[in-house]
Amino acid sequence: MSSTEAGPPAAERAPAASWRFLVAPRWLGWHLAMVVSVAGMLALGYWQLRRAEEGNALSWAYTFEWPVFAVFAVVFWAKTIRDEFSPPQAGLACDEADPVAGAGPVGYAGRDDDQEADQAVPEDEDLTAYNAYLARLQEQVKNHGRWHGLR
Amino acid sequence: MDAAVRRYRVMAYITGTVLIVLCFVGIPLQVAAGNDVIASDVGTLHGILYIIYLVTAYLLARRLRLPLGPTILMLAAGTIPVLTFVVERWVTRKYINPARQGQQAGQAAPTARAG
Repeated sequence: MSSTEAGPPAAERAPAASWRFLVAPRWLGWHLAMVVSVAGMLALGYWQLRRAEEGNALSWAYTFEWPVFAVFAVVFWAKTIRDEFSPPQAGLACDEADPVAGAGPVGYAGRDDDQEADQAVPEDEDLTAYNAYLARLQEQVKNHGRWHGLR
Repeated sequence: MDAAVRRYRVMAYITGTVLIVLCFVGIPLQVAAGNDVIASDVGTLHGILYIIYLVTAYLLARRLRLPLGPTILMLAAGTIPVLTFVVERWVTRKYINPARQGQQAGQAAPTARAG
C-alpha cells in the first residue's frame, strides 16, 4: 500500500524532467531570438506593405515574402523542439552509441541492489509494477534534449 | 538521401548565381547608372528562389541531423553572396560524405532506410 501512495508524486516528477530543457538558459535565448526575429520579419512585411501602397510595385513581392519567412521560422523552431522530444530514428548520419542506454534511473537501479540480498522474499506486486513504470518512462525520455547538444 | 542532396545542390547553385548577378551587376547598375531593371527583376527572382532554397536546405539538414548552428548557417548562406558555394562544399566535406560512408557501411543492416 505504501508504495502506491508514494507513486504519484514521483511519477509526476519523471515526465516533468523531459521538458525542463526548454527553460534552460540556452533555450530561453533561442526562444527570445525566435520571438524577436519573427516580430522583425512581420514588421518588415508591414513596412513593405506600406511602401507597396505608396506605389512601389516591387514591394508587393516582399510584402508576401516576409510573412513566409516568419512562418518558416516558426516551423523551424517547432520542429527543432519536437525533434528534441523524439529524435529522428535510423543512422543516416554518423554517431550513435547511446551513452545512457541500459542505465536505468539511479533510484531504480539502487533499489534493485538493495533487494538482491533478500531475493527469496516474493516481490511486492505494486513495487514490481512501479519499477516497470519507471523503466518505461526512462525509455521514453532517454534522448530528450540531446540531439542538438543544447541541454 | 541522394535526392535530398541533389535538390539542395541545384538550389544552392541557382540561388548563389542569381544572388551574385543581383549584387555584382544589378545593384552597381542601380546605384551608378540609375538603371534598376536588373536589380528589381533579379531581386524578386532571388526572393522566390531563396524560399525554395530554404525548404531544400532545411530538409537536407534534417536528413543529416545537423546541429542547430550548421543548420542556420546553411539556411542563411542563401542571402549572402558567394557563401552558398562555400557552405555547399563545406557541408559536403563535413557532413554529406561521412553520412554516405556510414550509409554504405550500414547497408547490410535490415533497419537501414533507403534513399
